[in-house]
Parts: sequence; structure tokens; C-alpha cells
Amino acid sequence: MNPSLEDRPSELPYRDTKPQGAPDFYFATNATFRFLLKRFGREGWTRYLEELGRGYYAPINRRWREGGLPVVARYWRDFFAAEPGGKVDVEEKSDRVVIEVRECPLIKHLRSGDRAIVKEFCHHCSILGQARASEAGLTMRLHGGNGSCRHTYAEESAGLPPQDPNDIKEAHL
Amino acid sequence: MIGCYDFCGHYEWTFDWLERTGGHDLVKAYWNEAINQDSQIHARNLILAEGFDGMAKYWGHTLTEESPDLGFKITKEADVFRVDMHDCPSKGFLIKNGLEQYGDYCDHCIGWIGPLMKDAGFVIDHEHNHCGQCWWEMRPATATGGHSEVGAVSGEHDVRLRPDWASEGKKLDGFVKATDPDAKLPRT
Repeated sequence: MNPSLEDRPSELPYRDTKPQGAPDFYFATNATFRFLLKRFGREGWTRYLEELGRGYYAPINRRWREGGLPVVARYWRDFFAAEPGGKVDVEEKSDRVVIEVRECPLIKHLRSGDRAIVKEFCHHCSILGQARASEAGLTMRLHGGNGSCRHTYAEESAGLPPQDPNDIKEAHL
Repeated sequence: MIGCYDFCGHYEWTFDWLERTGGHDLVKAYWNEAINQDSQIHARNLILAEGFDGMAKYWGHTLTEESPDLGFKITKEADVFRVDMHDCPSKGFLIKNGLEQYGDYCDHCIGWIGPLMKDAGFVIDHEHNHCGQCWWEMRPATATGGHSEVGAVSGEHDVRLRPDWASEGKKLDGFVKATDPDAKLPRT
């Protein structure tokens, strides 16, 4: 469903005057990761992402905790509608929300800009997603990467297996 | 996933995280190494190669992408490249959404543009009012003297002509022939 056609308030807590973001900002996200990985290693980068997930995203985490999976599904529809260039399907099931990223807008733009992508790039969705989900009483798992992947946000009762790091691909041009 | 729609929000949050983690020097290193030398390499290459023409190409593209309502004015003359920002899309996003973690978000611009201009052989005169308005004048590093008189370069588009530019309660931060965020003038 095209989220822009839904007749409801957006789930995005921070709103801009334009409908979609500027994709060149993806260059800065990739560069930020490279800087943090170089300065602090994988452990420091992970700590940054976890604190970002619990801190900056706190208003969204609270909404997820209060509203459960329907809010999670609406959030990700709104999120990807505001990100330029992706192809994403969001499906809400009884105990989980599955986000099929058929074409990742971020990886796509980094490639079109011929930017060296940090190989750990796709792990950020897992680290950040798990930190945010945990705050909301949910679990998150990631499968795939390097341009297409599947995110699953689930209730604890869904009993998702632990995240297997080998399920997440390294990113590259 | 970290998005670009609210980029300025988590970008600003990151400045504060870096300062808490490694102090002001780490924030400066981030602006220079991650933004100037990596993220904005396209701007860097244009400006190093083409000077004022490169600045016009870069800011003409990026400000139009970030600010489709064209809340800015670019003026290029033989000896100066000037930007008047009337409605900064970046600071405006933070104000609109009540986001303020870091002391002076506006410093990030000279934080990455300053080292770039230094490498390209330019110096910067600049003021920002922390409310989404600022002006920039880039000149060759050999330039002497002060910045332009109000209206002298960009005419009616000079942001300093706005009645709210320095209205009561606003604190202007300024830089003179600078390339370093630490060269900020003491507030008067």
C-alpha cells in the first residue's frame, strides 16, 4: 500500500516540510560509520548505535511500546515513504511485522554515488533495530543485506531464534 | 535503518555523543574527517578544482535539494562568493521539531567548510543567528579588509536586511577570515 494514500496521521515523530529526505545525506551516514569504526572499532560503533537507538529514537520506541505491532507497521510504512528510492513491502502478521526491503534506498544511493561502503554497514540495521525493539518490549532480527534484506519485529512470544551474525551480508559497491 | 528524512536530527544528536565521548576535539575531527574529507568529497573535488565556479555548482545543487522552496540566495562575483540563507532547511528542521542536544549546531557548517576552504585557498566571513538565518562570504586567502557592507553584494537578498536578523534576544556568532570553528568571535 502506498503510505501516502492512507488517511491517518504520520507515525514519524520528527516532520519536515518536504515529503522526502535528501539522499546525499546517506553519504554522511556511511562516512560517520567509517569515522566511528576507525576511531573506536566495532565495539565503539556498536555502543554508538545502541545509544542512538535508546536515546534519539526514544519517542518512537515509546509509541511502539504503547501501540504494539500495528504502530510498528505504520511507522515503517511512513519511514520508507519518506526515504527516496527504495522498494519496500511492510506486512503485519499476528505476532510480527515483516519488512521486505527489495531495494535498499541507502545502498542504492551509495552505489550510484560510487561511494566505498563500510563492509559492516548492514549490521547497523540489526544493532539499531534490536536496541529500539528492546526498548519497546519487542525483538528484532535481520536477514540479508547488501541491497536487499528482511527486517522482522516481533513480540517476545513469537520466539524468534537469536540473531545469527552470519545471516547479515557484508556491504560493498 | 537510519534515514535521511530526519538526518539533521540524528546528525545533531551525534555531535553531542561525540562531545560526551571524546570532547570538542573529537567533534572537530568528525566534521573534518567524516564530513569534509569523506561525505562531502563531491563538494571538495568541485571546489578544489574550480573555486567559485565549483562552489556555485555544489551549493546550487545541494541547497536546491535540501531547500526546494529556495530559502537562500547565491551571489558570485569576481572576488567573492556569497550565500544568504534565509530559511535553513537543516536548522529549521531542528527548531520545528524541538531538537537541541548540542551547544551550537550551526558550527557544523564551518566545521567542515572551513577546512575545505583552507585547502582550496579561501577564507570565510560568516555570521549565524541560531534561528535558521546566516550569511557566508568566501574570498581568496590573500584577501584583506572586512566583509561586505549590508546589501553591497547580494542587494535586497542580504539576510542582514531582515527585520528579524538580529532582533532582541538573538545572539549572533561571527567569523572573520576564518577556516576553523574555534575562530568564533567573542559575542558582543
